[in-house]
Amino acid sequence: MSSDTALNQKSTSKGQLLLGVGILVLGVAMVVGATMIPSDAGYAGVGPDFLPALVGAVLSLCGIFVIWEALSGGFRNMDAPNGADTGFWSGFAWMSAGLLANAALITTIGFILSCTLCFALAVRGLRTAELEKIGSFNGKQFIKDLLIGFAIAAPVYWMFTKLLAINLPGLTATGWI
Amino acid sequence: MEVWNQLMLGFATAATPINLLWCLIGCAVGTAVGVLPGIGPAVAVAMLLPITTKVDATASMIFFAGIYYGAMYGGSTTSILLNTPGETGSMVTAMEGNKMAKSGRAGAALATAAIGSFVAGTIATVLVTLFAPMLANFAVRLGPPEYFMLMLLAFTTVSAVLGKSTLRGMVALFIGLAIGLIGMDQISGQARYTGGVSELLDGIEIVLVAVGLFAVAEALYAVLYEGKTAESQNKLSSVHMSKSDWKKSIPAWLRGTAIGFPFGTIPAGGTEIPTFLSYATEKKLAKDKSDFGTKGAIQGVAGPEAANNAAVTATLIPLLTLGIPTSNTAAILLGAFQSYGIQPGPQLFQTSGALVWALIASLYIGNVMLLVLNLPLVGMWVKLLKIPKPYLYAGILIFATVGVYGMRQSAFDLVLLYVIGVLGVVMRRFDFPTAPVVVGMILGPLAEAQLRNALSIGEGKWTVFLERPMSLTLIVVVLAVLVLPRAAKYWSSRSNRRIA
Repeated sequence: MSSDTALNQKSTSKGQLLLGVGILVLGVAMVVGATMIPSDAGYAGVGPDFLPALVGAVLSLCGIFVIWEALSGGFRNMDAPNGADTGFWSGFAWMSAGLLANAALITTIGFILSCTLCFALAVRGLRTAELEKIGSFNGKQFIKDLLIGFAIAAPVYWMFTKLLAINLPGLTATGWI
Repeated sequence: MEVWNQLMLGFATAATPINLLWCLIGCAVGTAVGVLPGIGPAVAVAMLLPITTKVDATASMIFFAGIYYGAMYGGSTTSILLNTPGETGSMVTAMEGNKMAKSGRAGAALATAAIGSFVAGTIATVLVTLFAPMLANFAVRLGPPEYFMLMLLAFTTVSAVLGKSTLRGMVALFIGLAIGLIGMDQISGQARYTGGVSELLDGIEIVLVAVGLFAVAEALYAVLYEGKTAESQNKLSSVHMSKSDWKKSIPAWLRGTAIGFPFGTIPAGGTEIPTFLSYATEKKLAKDKSDFGTKGAIQGVAGPEAANNAAVTATLIPLLTLGIPTSNTAAILLGAFQSYGIQPGPQLFQTSGALVWALIASLYIGNVMLLVLNLPLVGMWVKLLKIPKPYLYAGILIFATVGVYGMRQSAFDLVLLYVIGVLGVVMRRFDFPTAPVVVGMILGPLAEAQLRNALSIGEGKWTVFLERPMSLTLIVVVLAVLVLPRAAKYWSSRSNRRIA
């Protein structure tokens, strides 16, 4: 075994441990939250706080087991995940920026422009991921991606708002953009 | 004869021009979704759920059903030509189909997949026509305790039996149940886990979770880990089967149908098990095994493809008659029914008979449409594979926005969508199954209501589950499902040790 894979295994089991702790915390938080739900059981004997408490308890228990598996040699019966061993985080950041910008801007600049921006940012992330390096910012390419994004988002907007009468926000009240 | 009359009425509804058009669009969208990697039928139906606010129930159910089994047809094209299955049901097809395509027989593989899907889909639809009303008649007698136990059975199989790790399946199921708890309690109106955020009072939309877990997570995973994976595409040859191909395919189709159908009706979630079983059967029965794994055996494509489609069609039986989804897509379809205020279950055949029979009739029509769409027109779909990956995944994000924003017009939901997407990436990286999350989230609130109703009937006593024969039987089944596979494993490892 090379030191590289050993290092990888170490970081994976650290991730597994973190995940287990996360599940445990979530479970405990749910149990605590359940005690704050008033129990008005009526005829049934179990009220609205019963299932939350149960789900919280089972999740806590699962968390403990996940931690135990992580500490005793890693998850059982696990397939090696697809793709690269380490994540390409700068590409991830581009796509995340696109998705969050979309959430922040959709009501102000409208569906079409907001989705166009999200599309171009996501494409930028995916393209740098293909090259596996950040590369210099190619303005021409970015404008081309914006245009393609617009060419997808605009017809989608028209189709859903005009044909199917689904409410999507526009920049203007004309219904076209 | 009553079934026959109902079915004819169903055909009359399904064959109106507007419904035929919805069926055709559904089949086409489904095929495209199946062909494109990174997007499956569950997420496609989820993204299009907002149309339920405007389109009438019959038309949209016909549309969604078209997407559902259309994707099964399209999925085989990708797995034969690219060796990356478009959806999970085609994983096995990829093994032999890709080998056949590499040795220049892509056309025959595509033909046996499409015709096999048609044969299996049609036979399964006939069986649905015959058995669904019968099961509905029986299921009318089930009360809340039995329903709760049936749902418990679905939870058990989807989390503990399928998948590689019971622990990870349980975590996924309970995260789904936890998401389902957020919002107002249906019985008492009590707010739970909303943290004072008013957007959370109505709960989290199914669309949001499904699109986040499947579409957004897929795109994020691709950018994080799969940037450089290169794909080679096999050449398409003429879509034609020789006489010996037919002779090998026909029995494989029939066997695949027989294996696939029962698996769709039980809450065993998904098509992986029947397709693998069918593949194993074909390999065992083949007289000449030399083609398997080398040049590619046509039976190894024909059987699993038929099993896949039979299972998919059969999932409609528990969905329509019991209201219990046994696959991801069926779970989303249940959500579609719910957004019309229709609760699938034994009464559905009485209360919404016209809708159900139109839906069943549309399955017959859709299968014929898909055969045409997939055999002569296969070249058109293959062109979809030429879309560059960055544009494909980024485009999926636009459609994800339509689905999630269109459902509730809330920008807050788009932030949640991103959070669920990240959760999906983590789950995929650490090999957690995602199906239990969706099933838990959709069935959780229903199961809770049944549980509390059952306990009301029993005046607060849990023994109500033991006193009713059907409910007791189901408890035994749940225990058997939990215990038997483990016991079998234990005994076989013990006897192995004894031999050693």
